[in-house]
Amino acid sequence: MHACLYECSPEGRGRPLNTIAVVALRRLLQAVPLLLLISVVVFVLLHAAPGGPVEIYLSNPNVRPEDIARLRMSLGLDRPLPVQYLSWLGGFVRGEWGYSFADGRPVAERLLERVPATLELVATSIAIALVASVGIAVYGAARRKTVGARAVNSLALAGISLPVFWFGLVLQLVFAVALHWLPSSGRSSFGDAGFADRLRHLVLPAIVLAAVHAAAWSRYLGASVGEVMRAPFVLVARSRGVAPMPLMLRHVLRNALLPFLTVALLDAALMVSGAVVTESVFAWPGLGGLFTEALARRDYALLMAFLMVTSTAVIVLNLVADVAYRALDPRTAG
Amino acid sequence: MSVTRRLGSRWIPRGRVPGRAWLVLLCLTNSCREAARGPSNDLLIVGYDREPDTLNRFSTHILEDIETCVVEGLTTNDEQMNVVPLLAREVPTLDNGGVRMRPDGGMDVIWRLRPGIRWHDGVPFTSADVAFTVAAINSPAYKPESTDGFDRIASVDTPDSLTAVVHYREAYAPYALQFVRGALPRHVLEGRDIDRAADYNRKPLGTGPYRVAEWKTGEYILLERVPHYWQGDSLPKIKQILFRFVTNTTTRINQLKAGEVHVVALLPMDKYREVTGIPGIVVRKTMGNGYEHVTLNERRVAAFADVRVRRALTHAVDREEIVRTILDGLAPVVHGPIQPVSWAFTDSVRRYPFDPAHARALLDSAGWHATSAGGLRARDGTPLAFTLMTQAGFVIRENVAQVLQRQWRDVGADVKVQLVDGTAISTKWFSGDFDAMLHWWQLPADPEVTLFFAADRTPPAGRNINYLVDSALTTVLYASDRTVDVVARRRLLVRAQQMIAELAPEIPLYNVTRLDAVPATLRGFKGNPTNTGIFWNVHQWEVRP
Repeated sequence: MHACLYECSPEGRGRPLNTIAVVALRRLLQAVPLLLLISVVVFVLLHAAPGGPVEIYLSNPNVRPEDIARLRMSLGLDRPLPVQYLSWLGGFVRGEWGYSFADGRPVAERLLERVPATLELVATSIAIALVASVGIAVYGAARRKTVGARAVNSLALAGISLPVFWFGLVLQLVFAVALHWLPSSGRSSFGDAGFADRLRHLVLPAIVLAAVHAAAWSRYLGASVGEVMRAPFVLVARSRGVAPMPLMLRHVLRNALLPFLTVALLDAALMVSGAVVTESVFAWPGLGGLFTEALARRDYALLMAFLMVTSTAVIVLNLVADVAYRALDPRTAG
Repeated sequence: MSVTRRLGSRWIPRGRVPGRAWLVLLCLTNSCREAARGPSNDLLIVGYDREPDTLNRFSTHILEDIETCVVEGLTTNDEQMNVVPLLAREVPTLDNGGVRMRPDGGMDVIWRLRPGIRWHDGVPFTSADVAFTVAAINSPAYKPESTDGFDRIASVDTPDSLTAVVHYREAYAPYALQFVRGALPRHVLEGRDIDRAADYNRKPLGTGPYRVAEWKTGEYILLERVPHYWQGDSLPKIKQILFRFVTNTTTRINQLKAGEVHVVALLPMDKYREVTGIPGIVVRKTMGNGYEHVTLNERRVAAFADVRVRRALTHAVDREEIVRTILDGLAPVVHGPIQPVSWAFTDSVRRYPFDPAHARALLDSAGWHATSAGGLRARDGTPLAFTLMTQAGFVIRENVAQVLQRQWRDVGADVKVQLVDGTAISTKWFSGDFDAMLHWWQLPADPEVTLFFAADRTPPAGRNINYLVDSALTTVLYASDRTVDVVARRRLLVRAQQMIAELAPEIPLYNVTRLDAVPATLRGFKGNPTNTGIFWNVHQWEVRP
């Protein structure tokens, strides 16, 4: 029935694909009650926070208390919380995510239109962070105890401690205000949305978002590379005449990247939802900005959908990391 | 370890940075220099602090800058906050016969529309649109942000296409501003769910000098001028206005410095000096229709129920010093809720000059005596202590709160400052969950202050969060709301201001002055103290060196 029951590594080892499938399925089933629990916690927390969707009108002299009561009722906010939750859950399960309290547009539409900008920023940042962290880690591990390696390590430590908000504004002042090399913010120039223009707008926010992750990842990966380089098989490979470059790329990095994979994938999931500060500083029209706006407005329908989607993304990427880890490392089979 | 050391120097590729990388960088940066364009009659770029939820003027909240460029009212507010006609031929009054008081206590307002006005799609703007607007707003199917005034309208007659007679059930003094947000186009919205009419709400049909050409979510709204604007074919002068959404204030100012935006409206006062130094930019100051003040919650703090304590706390505050030091002298000190821009304003009210000695004497007379070496006061074992709440992250307020804390401490009041985030704070004040609060009121263009001071307007029925209960003041306030004659109404409102000053239910500090950064080459800018915003006369704007 099955044409191929085994995946085969170059070394000729293999294990049943169905083991991985079973693990994946089990984890997916476990995710359902977890998501349900998350939805309850998020719903309760959002409603426990002071304020609400109509609070924005309170300081508007043209909106009377009678209007506020009317708006609360029309949004269904006068109903008991359990009723509101069940109503939301029923709709969410059926794929009806409701309408944004702020502008009356479908929540799904509001989320989807922000996804491309966020993916553009996050994917670029991850790519930069990956290249930088691998470079820094390899350099640091290979030239340990040299001035250069220490400087790189210190830089990485500084990167971790860097306040994103401050770093972003400093880059703006230097590259946009003082040098006029790059635009300070936004995703494109008006009337010029070509590739080069988009790229120019991407540079500063991508660097800021990448910097913190590159710093953290390089420290993590550096330790991992250092550990692998001390392993006996590296010495054996070297004694067998394997050249330094292939040794690093094929043997050391390949092994060092395994534990790093989980960290990177989970961080990537968090980056999607967590680029809030970077998006705010650079007026980047992504999900982070939408989340901040929805939070300030207490736009419950939008916030619930956003938090459920990002929670699902974290769970799924966690699962992907787990499965990938099992697939790549035969020792974790079973 | 030894392997590492030996490997180190050889496996890292060496060499210079490829020349192509520098070339790419050069291209990127060079083309950016071209991207920053100065302001011109072709394009004016506004750095806007938020993305609007909707451009439907009846559903929006507070700011209507973009909407006013597109949708015009029957009347509008000018830079002096006068109500002036726009789509109406004149503002109806008792004198010109546009307003008739009925024997049954109701009133009729006759709106005569300008002839020849068309919606941007070419359909004539008529009294049927006015009647439709009233019906739509009073319909339970639509959720406008306010139905104020509309809910007092019994019916609208349209004897001809240019006349709408609005029948009110009772006298309604602010009638002249009833249609300041314009009208909804009947031919587009009749029979539809207006809340979900995204085509209209995101690209409203109007009669104004501009129409919405593009709304790029999260990035900008582009307005382009309409051909044959009714105020003149040569108007507006500026072809396109781009509103870029930049929520972060520092980023907005960096954009102004980099020349990426040309206008930044509503600058925070603490950024004034920084922005005035930007070449080619001037900061326009406009007297606002709001006032910063300290609300004293009489329900929560027993001491505040005594007028002597309220007056003492007012005398203890050096408002001139606050304005001079923290506000850089940008805003004038005020002494009451109705602001100098209003036709109902009077400065003939009781003043409370800075006088700590008098403040101490008043507290002594109220039974609050110094009981400790530090001079803190108490009465019958109860200390004179309260918490001053204000908005976190609002630099000016945080600084003012500290000055108030020190100055009240000087006369023997033990004050703590509590900072609360912007969304949470409005709930706190609306539920009366505070002792004293430093905040502002942005007032309606009509000088009605009943909502803030009438005895029956404490939350949730209103915004009397001082919890002031004074029947005489309440009577005067309601009488002013039912008086349509402007002279008689002003007399009542002057009396109300004098009574409020005597009662000292709150401590007025300063006028919330508007600061708008605009190009030095922009002509025709007049500013505006109301929520109508600075773009109310955008058709007169022109960029001219």
